Amino acid sequence: MEPRIEDQLRDLAPQVLGALVRRHGQFDACEDAVQEALLAAAQQWPDNGVPDNPQSWLMTVAWRRLVDTWRAEGARRRREETAIALELPIQSQDLDRDDTLALLFMCCHPSLSAPSQLALTLRAVGGLTTAEIARAFLVPEATMAQRISRAKERIRSTGIHFDLPPPSERADRLRVVMHVLYLVFNEGYATSSGPAFQRADLTIEAIRLTRMLHQLMPADGEVAGLLALMLLTDARRAARSTADGDLVPLAEQRRDLWNKTQIEEGVALLTRTLGTVPVGPYQMQAAIAAVHDEAPSHEETDWPQILALYEVLERVSPGPVVTLNRAVAVAMVHGPRAGLALLGTLDADERMEQTHRLEAVRAHLLELAGDLAAARESYLRAAKKTHSLPEQRHLALRAARLS
Amino acid sequence: MKYMIMTFGSAEAGLAAMGKEWMVEMIKFMTTLDEDLKKSAEFVSAEGLADGSQAKTVRFVNGISVATDGPFAESKESLVGYWIVDVESEARAIEIASRIVDYVKQPIEVRRVMDAPPEF
Repeated sequence: MEPRIEDQLRDLAPQVLGALVRRHGQFDACEDAVQEALLAAAQQWPDNGVPDNPQSWLMTVAWRRLVDTWRAEGARRRREETAIALELPIQSQDLDRDDTLALLFMCCHPSLSAPSQLALTLRAVGGLTTAEIARAFLVPEATMAQRISRAKERIRSTGIHFDLPPPSERADRLRVVMHVLYLVFNEGYATSSGPAFQRADLTIEAIRLTRMLHQLMPADGEVAGLLALMLLTDARRAARSTADGDLVPLAEQRRDLWNKTQIEEGVALLTRTLGTVPVGPYQMQAAIAAVHDEAPSHEETDWPQILALYEVLERVSPGPVVTLNRAVAVAMVHGPRAGLALLGTLDADERMEQTHRLEAVRAHLLELAGDLAAARESYLRAAKKTHSLPEQRHLALRAARLS
Repeated sequence: MKYMIMTFGSAEAGLAAMGKEWMVEMIKFMTTLDEDLKKSAEFVSAEGLADGSQAKTVRFVNGISVATDGPFAESKESLVGYWIVDVESEARAIEIASRIVDYVKQPIEVRRVMDAPPEF
């Protein structure tokens, strides 16, 4: 299929589904009907051409499919079916931006588990097929189908409404939506070569969905911040690993491989946002990524600026991971020993026990301080703790280089 | 996150020590467990292995690789089978393993699959 048709279908998917659900309820049946309409379009449009009004086409096909389902369900529903059949299918003027948003809030409902939120968002809002989602997460298609089906069942049984959350809950619910999109991005932000290749598609999909959310909520600073963070982080993707799949740390990346268009877009977005809205963690992380992306070389990075941004981030969103990152900035401004002293404050933090990152950062700072034997030990401890294979290889290589 | 849940033992000793009813119940238990993991959408794969007595171990001896009969581990215990599950947390993987342990009364090893994205 032409990529343009595929893109067009994915953009239309949540609008068509949102309109159907608003009109007929029954998210479950509507979602299946829209998937079938998307499939029919994917088969017919490349040969027959894209219809003049693609939305109407999709809605008519999905609506017919819905009526067929209800008819198959038998006499129990006959009366409703007659009532529905008399109505005209939904017209494209019924499309409402808030429907797409309501759909996103529904798929990221806090009563669904994180794996369910991710799977359902990618299918119902992203318009991806179950097979594509299964491939991206490296699980059997039957397992992914069951996960989506259980999520829909949970929506039905807990009576989750297809509505925008009330203003009192809006901020909390939006945070969950953004976190789900961030998790999708992070899943895909693996190496871009080798067996992990298809996971990289998740990064592109996360950016597309976040861009959509930003268009729906242009005034929200954190949504803009999240989109900028994704663009500025993903801009380094080509430089982030070698052809063999080995990770390349920021300091050693070939900056000419960074995606300049994406950096410009991210910086412009951030510039428009910062100072006009209350500051939040995604905006601050994006601002830090922007300082890195705009530095001509690692040595010329504006570290005092990065340190100042981490101090703001720590105030708006304190946590051990922020302190960990701030320690790197402290080391670059005040020397590795100062960074190591700050890391020491995290040793007793239980939240750091499960992650390898404390040891990985300590190893790096010990290496900068010239304590190579201790650095080697820390690299090895970090290599044992990580759950990422490319990261483990990278950390083990760093240790081996010091022996 | 994915975990591998591994069972160890000697199927031969199991067959000799346990009666027919026990074996029938065990097969039923395993089938139900697989079905439950499929229903909960956590199933990735599961395999049972042929008896350890049929294993070959290939070793590097005097500069060449040599195949010998028997499992790698010197003890009588060897890998009998495994499940790979995709779960929300380590606690859930341990919960699944505990259900097996409660039934078989044998230790089970739970180990994370290296499937996390790198963090920098």
